[in-house]
Amino acid sequence: MFTRRSLVLTAGLAALLGAQDKSPAIQVTGAVKQELTLTADDLAKMPRATVKTSSNGMETVYEGVWLHEVLKRAGVPQGSELRNKALASYVLAQAQDGYEVVFSLAELDPSFIDNEILLADTANGKPLFGAQGRFRLVVPKDKPGARSIRMLSRLEVVELRK
Amino acid sequence: MIPRKPVPCWYKRLLYGLALSAGLMPVSIAGDFQWDVPQGFPRPFVPADNPMSAAKVQLGRYLFYDKRISVNGTESCASCHRQELAFTDGRAHAEGATGALHPRSSMSLVNVAYEAYFTWANPALASLEEQALVPMLGGDPVELGLKGREQEFLATLRSDPVYQGLFPSAFPNEANPYSLGNVTKAIAAFERSIVSMRSPYDRYRWGGDPSAISDAAKRGEIIFSSSERGGCFRCHGGWNFNSGVRFEGSEPPRSGRFAGFFNTAVTTYAAPNRGLFEYTHKPEDIGRFRVPSLRNIAVTGPYMHDGSLATLEAVIDHYAAGGRMHDPNKSDLIRPLNLREADKRDLIEFLKSLTDEEMLHDPRWSDPRGETRPGYRSTGSPRR
Ligand code: HEC
Ligand code: HEC
Repeated sequence: MFTRRSLVLTAGLAALLGAQDKSPAIQVTGAVKQELTLTADDLAKMPRATVKTSSNGMETVYEGVWLHEVLKRAGVPQGSELRNKALASYVLAQAQDGYEVVFSLAELDPSFIDNEILLADTANGKPLFGAQGRFRLVVPKDKPGARSIRMLSRLEVVELRK
Repeated sequence: MIPRKPVPCWYKRLLYGLALSAGLMPVSIAGDFQWDVPQGFPRPFVPADNPMSAAKVQLGRYLFYDKRISVNGTESCASCHRQELAFTDGRAHAEGATGALHPRSSMSLVNVAYEAYFTWANPALASLEEQALVPMLGGDPVELGLKGREQEFLATLRSDPVYQGLFPSAFPNEANPYSLGNVTKAIAAFERSIVSMRSPYDRYRWGGDPSAISDAAKRGEIIFSSSERGGCFRCHGGWNFNSGVRFEGSEPPRSGRFAGFFNTAVTTYAAPNRGLFEYTHKPEDIGRFRVPSLRNIAVTGPYMHDGSLATLEAVIDHYAAGGRMHDPNKSDLIRPLNLREADKRDLIEFLKSLTDEEMLHDPRWSDPRGETRPGYRSTGSPRR
């Protein structure tokens, strides 16, 4: 665990410290039928969605793709397939700096819950940049912002019960 | 209440034109004050009993810079809140009109209208009107030393031709507008007008100008905003770089919950600088101070409530070490950081990008009497 974490950290740091990637992308890996590498261009071709947030009185309209659409494309079980052992699976979202948060598959599935978790690539019509990263999650129904992870680089699907 | 729709410009111009052509002082038009708040930012909270008006802000500006407000005519609010230092004084401990040293360092007044509580750690002080009475009348320490001389001061104002114009236009429907309450209302309105979101960082982050800040500052922004690396944003968060803002239409702060106060283990916290504890008397509140905004931080040193850190370098070293003191109340967000020297420099470049240079010289907030009338000079040379 420690080595994997520190590996991710070093890789993340290297990405941060080096010149910012020419075409940053999100890796969708782990227990998926189809591993994906998604750039902003790829996301632009998927079904788009928006979420409006208000933070300290400042309103922001994020645009991107629902996270469940991304997982669907990777072949992650959804709807009637999301049962039995799959209900113990989760998505580990990782940021470039090593920050990580977790969502269970069920809480990302519209057939379970209307949760509105967006993988965003623009804010107020402009591509995300700087400390936001090129991609982030926006989780408007969470009360604190801690899982609205910025600088998102990787989504790993993990099966607890094989 | 400020009307959501500002009075149309042509209408105001017409009124002013009429007033001027009739040889009258322009009278206050409630709501004629124009906020200079960029698209996307909220407007500040304004209490219902002290609506903004251009005339009131102007009166407050004269009072803010008037040294006759102090016991011996040596200090005004501006003596400890100097515009060119983002309304701080450059000292570790502010010095009152009679030479008394304040236990704490002066604070910036930029965007002060957005604060929910005032001063370094007083959750009971929730309005600018009330706060203004502290330096005016307070005796521990003496700041302006006006206590006992209030009537004399009001009489001075009443007999001054400048104020004879300003008070009635700021408080148009009052038989006797020369009251201490109106002095504090006008000063508070002036303070609320000091709103600034024009730093290079603002242009970079919200203004669509990718080259407004240096690459070093861009790297610093990432360290600041990364919980794995600097974690600064967890306390200095949002567009005002503090623990939350109060704005037009926001919920009033909930009493008894002091979420925005933290112990950063910067000193040993002896009385009267025990922070929130001075008000709650709970041992776990010793050392908890309000998170100050980091806007214009490059010009507001020395730093912290006691001015104990002279430079931004010292501040970063303090955080990198996870606090300077061993303290059971230290926030668990303060822990040793893995920062290389280059990272520290980047962090400082980022902090420097938060300075609004235009604000430091904006004529709207300068001494209205300028340097032309020596009797009124209020910003002397730096007193370090
Ligand atoms: C002797 C120097 C001095 C003078 C004169 C002075 N101040 Fe201050 N000011 C300070 C200090 C020191 C603090 C921090 C006080 C504390 O923490 O208790 C402060 C804090 C403040 C704050 C709180 C800012 C915040 O972010 O919460 C406001 C507002 C303020 N002063 C306004 C004024 C006004 C208005 C006047 C004139 C009526 C004035 N000050 C005169 C030194 C001074
Ligand atoms: C746990 C919350 C917390 C975190 C995390 C934090 N700060 Fe602070 N910061 C504070 C508080 C509270 C103060 C005032 C402390 C005092 O005066 O005793 C402060 C004061 C400061 C000041 C001085 C402000 C002034 O007006 O004198 C600077 C500069 C600063 N912090 C920068 C940073 C940077 C850079 C980081 C990240 C490395 C950081 N802070 C992380 C809470 C925090």
